[in-house]
Amino acid sequence: MRGVLGHFRELDSAVDAITELKAARLGDVTVFTPTPRHEFEVAVAPPRSPVRMYMLFGGLAGCLFGYWMAIWASAYWPLVVGGKAIASWIPYTIFGFEVFVLVGGLSTVAGLFIHARIPRLTMMVGYDPRFSRGDYGIWVECAPDRIASAEALLRKNGAVEVRGER
Amino acid sequence: MATIAYEPKRPNIASANVQLPAVRDYEQVDDEIVATLRPSKAWFLMLMTAIACLGLGVSAFLYQLHQGLGVAGYNPPVMWGVYIVTFVFWIGIGHAGTLISAILFLFRAGFRTTIYRCAEAMTVFAVMTAGLFPIIHLGRPWKFFWLLPYPNWRLLWPQFKSPLVWDVFAISTYLTISTTFLFVGLIPDIAVLRDRETNPTRKRILSFLSFGWRNTEREWRHFARAYLFLAAVSTPLVLSVHSVVSFDFAMAITPGWHTTIFPPYFVAGAIFSGIGMVFTIIIPIRKWFRLQHYVTLNHLDAAAKLCLTTSLIVGCAYMVEFFIAWYGGVQVEQDFFWNRVFGQWWWAAWIMLTCNMILPLSLFSQKLRRNPTWLWILSIFINIGMWFERFVIVVPSLSHEFEPWQWTTYAPTWVDYSILLGSFGWFFMWFLLFVRQLPIIAIAEVKEIVAPRLKRAHAHTPDNADDYEPETPGAHN
Amino acid sequence: MTKPVETANGVKRRDFLKVLGVTGAATAMVGCSTDQVEKLIPYVTSPDHTVPGVSNYYATTCRECAAGCGIIVETRDGRALKAEGNPDHPVNRGAICARGQAALQGLYNPDRFRGPMLRQNGQLVPISWEEAIDALHKGVDTAMKSGKARHAVFINQHEQGLLHSFLDEWLAYRDMPPHISYDAEAPFATIVANRAVYGVSWPRLDFGAAKLIVSFAADFLDGWGLPVPQQLDFAEARGKIEGAPRLIYIGPRRPLTGLNADQWIAAKPGTAGAIARMLAGKMTAAAAAAATDVPVATLAALKKEVAAAKPSLLIAGGSGPKALDLATEVNTLNKSLGNVGVTVKPAEAYGAWEGVVPPAVLNDVVAAMEASDVPALFVRGANPVYSTPVGLGFAAAAAKVPFKVSFSTVPDETTALCDLILPDHHALESWGIAEPVKGTLGLQQPTMDPVFNTRATADVLLASLRPLPCFSCPVDPAEDKQHAADIAKFPPDYRGVVASHIGGNSKLQHALPKGLLAGSLPGRVVPVAKIMKPAIVGEATGDYYLATYANLLMGDGRGANKPWLQELPDPVTKICWQTVVEMHPETAKKLGVERGDHVTVKTVAGSITAPAFLYIGVRPDTVAVMVGRGQTASGRYATGTGHNAWSLLPASNDAAGGYQLVGVRCTVAKAAGHSMIVTTEGSGRQHGRGIARASTLEELLTGEEHKPHAFPGQASTAFLPGLRAPVAGDAQGEFSDPTSAQKGEYDPKHPSGRAKRRWAMTIDLAKCTGCSACVTACYAENNIPTVGAEWQGPILYPDRKFPGANITRSREMAWLRLERYYEIDREYKDMAWNPEHHPEVRVIPMLCQHCGNAPCEPVCPVYATYHAPDGLNVQVYNRCVGTRYCSNNCPYKVRYFNWFGYGEPDRAQYAFPEPLNWQLNPDVTVRAKGIMEKCSFCVQRIRDAETLAKVQNREIEADEFTTACAQACPSRAIVFGDAADEHWSVTKLIEDRRAYHVFEELNTFTAVVYLKKINHPAPAGVTA
Repeated sequence: MRGVLGHFRELDSAVDAITELKAARLGDVTVFTPTPRHEFEVAVAPPRSPVRMYMLFGGLAGCLFGYWMAIWASAYWPLVVGGKAIASWIPYTIFGFEVFVLVGGLSTVAGLFIHARIPRLTMMVGYDPRFSRGDYGIWVECAPDRIASAEALLRKNGAVEVRGER
Repeated sequence: MATIAYEPKRPNIASANVQLPAVRDYEQVDDEIVATLRPSKAWFLMLMTAIACLGLGVSAFLYQLHQGLGVAGYNPPVMWGVYIVTFVFWIGIGHAGTLISAILFLFRAGFRTTIYRCAEAMTVFAVMTAGLFPIIHLGRPWKFFWLLPYPNWRLLWPQFKSPLVWDVFAISTYLTISTTFLFVGLIPDIAVLRDRETNPTRKRILSFLSFGWRNTEREWRHFARAYLFLAAVSTPLVLSVHSVVSFDFAMAITPGWHTTIFPPYFVAGAIFSGIGMVFTIIIPIRKWFRLQHYVTLNHLDAAAKLCLTTSLIVGCAYMVEFFIAWYGGVQVEQDFFWNRVFGQWWWAAWIMLTCNMILPLSLFSQKLRRNPTWLWILSIFINIGMWFERFVIVVPSLSHEFEPWQWTTYAPTWVDYSILLGSFGWFFMWFLLFVRQLPIIAIAEVKEIVAPRLKRAHAHTPDNADDYEPETPGAHN
Repeated sequence: MTKPVETANGVKRRDFLKVLGVTGAATAMVGCSTDQVEKLIPYVTSPDHTVPGVSNYYATTCRECAAGCGIIVETRDGRALKAEGNPDHPVNRGAICARGQAALQGLYNPDRFRGPMLRQNGQLVPISWEEAIDALHKGVDTAMKSGKARHAVFINQHEQGLLHSFLDEWLAYRDMPPHISYDAEAPFATIVANRAVYGVSWPRLDFGAAKLIVSFAADFLDGWGLPVPQQLDFAEARGKIEGAPRLIYIGPRRPLTGLNADQWIAAKPGTAGAIARMLAGKMTAAAAAAATDVPVATLAALKKEVAAAKPSLLIAGGSGPKALDLATEVNTLNKSLGNVGVTVKPAEAYGAWEGVVPPAVLNDVVAAMEASDVPALFVRGANPVYSTPVGLGFAAAAAKVPFKVSFSTVPDETTALCDLILPDHHALESWGIAEPVKGTLGLQQPTMDPVFNTRATADVLLASLRPLPCFSCPVDPAEDKQHAADIAKFPPDYRGVVASHIGGNSKLQHALPKGLLAGSLPGRVVPVAKIMKPAIVGEATGDYYLATYANLLMGDGRGANKPWLQELPDPVTKICWQTVVEMHPETAKKLGVERGDHVTVKTVAGSITAPAFLYIGVRPDTVAVMVGRGQTASGRYATGTGHNAWSLLPASNDAAGGYQLVGVRCTVAKAAGHSMIVTTEGSGRQHGRGIARASTLEELLTGEEHKPHAFPGQASTAFLPGLRAPVAGDAQGEFSDPTSAQKGEYDPKHPSGRAKRRWAMTIDLAKCTGCSACVTACYAENNIPTVGAEWQGPILYPDRKFPGANITRSREMAWLRLERYYEIDREYKDMAWNPEHHPEVRVIPMLCQHCGNAPCEPVCPVYATYHAPDGLNVQVYNRCVGTRYCSNNCPYKVRYFNWFGYGEPDRAQYAFPEPLNWQLNPDVTVRAKGIMEKCSFCVQRIRDAETLAKVQNREIEADEFTTACAQACPSRAIVFGDAADEHWSVTKLIEDRRAYHVFEELNTFTAVVYLKKINHPAPAGVTA
């Protein structure tokens, strides 16, 4: 794949560039930023992250498992203690809850990994260590014939450095 | 992400302003925080001390393992002693971390940003420490796994009605989730370290730990969501864990334990003790690592207010306990509380009341809230006071129960004390290793509240620099 | 060996044990405490009546005190395991005291002599029996040659039986005087007075017939006289509730009898006689009051009361110069009050003290020894070097005797002096015979082969007669013939002596299973030492009176090397492993002494320094010290434990020749140092918690009626029929849902049928005297370790290296404990002396209550404790991980934790050093380090009964078996059974209007039901 990597010092210039790029439909835009900024979310306008769904369903599964485990195990050896009910579901809510949190939390992280596409083995093209420091990057993935216009657009918006990559 | 950086300034609540005027740009954040990772001689010395204490504790435990629990100071019917006290103490310490990193995050309390990493690490290590004690205190520690619902061919299961099994679940869940939360938060920062690292081997390790994080907007988006929902489940979790721990006592019919107020009372106490420990740790760190302009007096001030609040809740709980004991009219209960406060155990009770109720009242003065030295001294008192709170709950109750014939006293032995010391060694060993290997201030999150470089807007001036008083003149600019 | 007593009825209830080989393993909870591999080698040809794992029972006679109770010893695979009372025996009627239980620890005492020993240059060295008998022969012979043989001394521990006459015969044959049947515990004044007034040395005291009992310093419940029969009768009398006798105790210290008394009259030491004379009208109340330092009103009231109550029972005890006068006066009073034949029954006299010799004869003995007149000193059983007043100077004198032989089984201060040790069998290994009551013989038979290489004294003496070279006699065939003829007169061995007395072997064989037969022993003329004007030493020196006393456990010191008895707290002071100086709090204040501070007590004879103990049951002008501890050479448990009160006593005798234990003047001074008091007592008062309840007969008759039955969830003030409903409702498995289908074993219709039963216990506090025999029974049955020995203390604690270190940390393991509460409203140290009023005392045995809703169960994380379908609160040792949460949640605090490896031989805390471990009950595991244990209602006995019933294809009969504590209880206060089956007597007792649960408000629905104690205030018209 090929594309252009624009390297910005300022936040607002990067945001402008994105807005224009999206308008110009030159290709897929990937933004690199040292810290999440709302400006990018506005500019890129991505879909809602589905990670919360993992929490929901993972959590529900865990909750059910917690209850089931406690109740089944109690009933398997029905020994009376202190005249309490063999399957006393009220205290077993604790297991429902704790396992809910456990599985829910872990599946959320799983969701994060899946959707953020990590762990990844290679840095791939278009990454620059400076993007984790203070600078912003915009990687435009586009057909060879559009590279020139993309570069121009980035420069116009104040990219301090523009390079094509393949 | 979340920030109240642009909140308008209001008079005389300086602590609400959590901007970092002394931090100009992202690069400065990187440089100053990466700089904290250089091991020093003093650090090495402290690490050795911690390991020495740990060694003492371990050998005391091995001795006890061989001889039997009799070498500890147990004095039936005081069947629980220093070990359970210390267990509850460390669990409590853990809670502040999750509170700061999760609950305050949901409440958008910006002052958490710079101290949360430290607190979260403290949580993980404190829970690691606490988890050891239920095992140390067992009569047959080598059989501890019988409390876990592991599949076995006899299909013998734990007794799920026992609060101790609830503990097992609550604490293991708590440890897992808070560890996960800490590590997820670390990923972008490790990426930063990776990119700053020159040593190839370390770079390799760091890039492995950073899962190849690339700072793309996509990664950040899902990261934010996951972070939010982890915080969302950690919040009820942290409340549940200490409630469950309090059930160990509240579920028993022992006078002094059998109280419905215990869950809220324990949670408040836990957070109180945790904040105390945060002060104990963060104040020296910000000094030694010269991070006063990250963890500003505003931050300490705000945390101190939280500390004061919880202290008031705890104090209120003490009073309610006494009131109910009197008002409930159960004579056994009344005898017990009298004996706790004015009888056999007056000294322990008064250490508790002084350290947890009376001294923290000083935090009503903003002057003291903004005085790191005082905060640190107070935090030591709080740690002691909270350890004694648990002591006062566990020991006097058991020593003064229904059967007058079985009333006794209790005196720990050198074994108890050594293992107690060892637990501090264990905790600080991990913490010291942490502070020199990983950033104790969340780089990415600090960058959020540092104003970004802009083309149009001009040289960045903090909109309320007047609220910012550097401790050392010229610490910034 | 002999036939087991399975035919003897009354033993039936333990018959089931015979099939327990199979079941023991199934029910006993196996917790492997050591990794030792033990090889089991089956018999090639098994001995008669010996089936591995099946118990045999031998009826024999207890020799721990003079009473001669009948006991049945359970043996398995040739080892004696447990001593129980013989239900048919006229003296103890199936009961047995703590000391009798501990006979086994004498049998298996780790310090016993392994074989005969000879002193060679100061050291005792083991020798063979041949050498030993030869040495004896030589020694005796030299004695005879010395021409002083008539001064030789043979001191024998007093016991009823043929040995008296046998010894005297043997001694006579050796030209030696009759032996001295010595017993330091014999209440001699009383014995002599009884002989004088009633014509028998010890009539039966029928407490039941009396309306009023007045004890003049006679502690008849704790070691004075014949403890077991007295306690049986007394408890039975008190158990009658309506028409039960009122008890008044007179004496300077309040002993166990005083605690059980409804009124304590604290007369000055040795002045009880004045009160007796007042009652006899020979003295005005005022004069008596002056003499005794008791309010006149009290004495006047007493006089009225005694006059009013007919029949009454006056018992004289005490010792001291006026003891004989007192006893005579009291016995005469009984006569004049018409009590003789009614409450005092000379017709049913006990044989205990027949033939006992007054200790005062030792005065002559010592004199003779001092004069080096005594050529030989023989001692059997007794320990005169220790158990004589130091003023007598026995040890020093004995040192002058050239030839000193001991037949004792265990080393003690006396054997430490002796030149030749010829260890006798233990009583449980010996033949013998006793006449416990007139006209009835109690047999004594070996219950097992000797543990060590010992020989019966009688056989040794006989052997020493056998034709060895006779050094003394000149070589003259005629004399030799004569000698042989004389020898022929002696039977071959002592068993033969016994057999021939009751008419041959076959009769013996026939009588042995029951252990009893009609007959009598030859009477013995007691050689009365030339007495007896009271030899009083050191009357006037010192501003305090010293009251020494012996309790049932230590006795005169004979119990000291038995860990059970050392660990069993004194029923009154609750002190174990320690000797203390008991003084009234006011005295302590005066001396500036706190509890535990050391004080020095000094008399003309000697002094001891021991920790002070504040006891409100002793007069301010008196200090009390228990005798029986502080041995110097009596084995590992006794040596160095406590202090020796004998070393305070001058050689004073009363006119009857008994020792003066009470009333010696002494000085008390604060000394340096402080010790922890080794006691199991926490707080000695109830703080109004209604644990031990009491009421008067009036309240009972007029007062509360039987309340309607309550149900789980509401605090019940009464009981469900047979405790059933709380159990059936919750614990017996309706999973909180009455319609639940799956009740499993908890379903009464389940084939196991367990849920049909509810094992329960009642304890009648009106009967319980607090003697603590049940505690020892529990130790014996359930392999409970003793934790108090010096080396059992927490190691690395130099400051804690004193006996009882673990007990000062409340780590005693007694599954069953006796709580003793004073009805007072402040701590002891704040109690003032008030001669008008002395607080009421209540005792209550506290054990696992086997709650229907047990708080300990739901908190255990691993099901180590749960509720069995038959209502037992089960503790599964090998599932326990030791969280100790169950104990924290137990309101009764009856769970005990193994802090150390008490059952592991390689540990300092090992509680059963070889061969004490031979006694361990094979049906009960020895618990491992780090686990919880508690009363199991003797689950092994329950399961055995069930199995036996199953094997015999029948239901368990009502009262077919019982627990160890109930079986031993000399008050018959404990009743065990199935509360769900109205045939068991426990079911009726539960319905008693005195019944209550402890801490009922906690809704634990306990299976142990207590019956209120009944107090007997002074009758109306008498103002006390």
